[in-house]
Amino acid sequence: MKRLEGKKAVITGGNSGIGLASAKRLAEEGARVLISGRDPKTLSAAATEIGPGTLTVQADVSKMADIDKLVAFTKEQFGKIDILFVNAGIAKFAPLPESTEALFDEHFNINVKGLYFTVQKAMPYLNDGASVILNTSIVSTKGEANTSIYAATKAAARSIARTAARETLPRRIRVNAVAPGYIETPIFVRSGISAQQIAMFKAGAAARTPMKRLGTAEEVAAAVAFLASDDATYITGVELNVDGGMGQL
Amino acid sequence: MKRLEGKVAVITGGNSGIGLASAKRLREEGAKIAISGRDAKTLESAAKEIGEGTLVVQGDVSKLSDIDKLYNAVKENFGKIDVLFVNAGIAIFAPYAMTNEELFDKMYDINVKGAYFTIQKAIPFLNDGASVILNTSIVSTKGMENTGIYSSTKAAVRSFARTAARELLPRKIRVNAVAPGPITTPIIGRTGMSEEQQQAYVEGVKSRVPMGRSGTADEVAGAVAFLASDDSSYVTGVELNVDGGLGQL
Repeated sequence: MKRLEGKKAVITGGNSGIGLASAKRLAEEGARVLISGRDPKTLSAAATEIGPGTLTVQADVSKMADIDKLVAFTKEQFGKIDILFVNAGIAKFAPLPESTEALFDEHFNINVKGLYFTVQKAMPYLNDGASVILNTSIVSTKGEANTSIYAATKAAARSIARTAARETLPRRIRVNAVAPGYIETPIFVRSGISAQQIAMFKAGAAARTPMKRLGTAEEVAAAVAFLASDDATYITGVELNVDGGMGQL
Repeated sequence: MKRLEGKVAVITGGNSGIGLASAKRLREEGAKIAISGRDAKTLESAAKEIGEGTLVVQGDVSKLSDIDKLYNAVKENFGKIDVLFVNAGIAIFAPYAMTNEELFDKMYDINVKGAYFTIQKAIPFLNDGASVILNTSIVSTKGMENTGIYSSTKAAVRSFARTAARELLPRKIRVNAVAPGPITTPIIGRTGMSEEQQQAYVEGVKSRVPMGRSGTADEVAGAVAFLASDDSSYVTGVELNVDGGLGQL
């Protein structure tokens, strides 16, 4: 019995990394999947990986008009949806003294404003009993070097899980966050640092993680599938850490 | 889903409530089940409900020799353990002024000492890669009336999840807690509350819990199954709240 048979799911940033792995996992569990992302090439490749019937729409969540486009396309193709994984986000690291206004705006526009309005604009198109999952991060409750902007955006996103959960109670909609630790995904490649620095960063992250390894995107996807399903019907407003022990031990 | 095909699962207090619901769920997912509990009669009827092949071991976790008895019986009948749900526990509510040493010792002997040694004595009987789940409670991070002893026992158990998770990392054994909110189970009849108080409690749940209702034992079992399975392979040391929003919003 597939837990998500017949459910309709939308994943922002579903063309790569955790978003793509989650889209694949939700499809395996029987859901119909619609993914959005900025890059039309990778969107197309992702749709092939996820499976026949996968819908795609090009959208940059930092542009309100693109969120409207995503929502309109969803309404047209799916009507109302059952699962929304608000996953689109960026992570660029810099020490506090070197952070610029441009870096600040870029992060907050995508990770916070984009996330907030994806949730808000999708709300009328969620079925009663739907499940919304926000991709946060364990760094939001830690003080890691070079994450002053990134961590704050994720703390804001975690807050949105609580308040959106509160306001959607009457419709039995659940809103939860999944907080990945250090996960092996392409996000690092886009962080603006050299390949050697990325390798050093990953080695350092693995060493500092209690499980002594990075997580896989599939391991986060499994938590997303849990929160999306009826196995989590009494769970709302939580932040579920998928972090190899990083946030807890 | 049969995520636990061929696995051996042990549930203390598996004869009733959350323990019984979890035993049934883990069995549905393919595991061989051993349950322990104090009451031989309810153990037998629970075993029938769970299904053929269920191993039953009568025992009281506040007696350390009973814990030894449980693990020896499991080893003899099933071999090593893949999933351990440390669930046996009691809840007796009373205001500070009305508690006494006897009540304190009773709660601590079962909920804390019993849980601690259920974990510790399991260690030689666990397979590498096993999953240990501890039943805590959301009250452990709240200040609710009449829960002075109960809440502190659960806070102690939540601490075990962290430290046991740390120490068992080299063997890839994960230790997590599931923290139920108000759940409809027979424990409510054993809390020392009068009929009238129980009524008031149930009404109170409707107004205090954001979802406006108690959870079911099956809803907690869904979370236990997630934590027991490889779907949570990068999750350790967490406390997963199954509480209708009570702990978060």
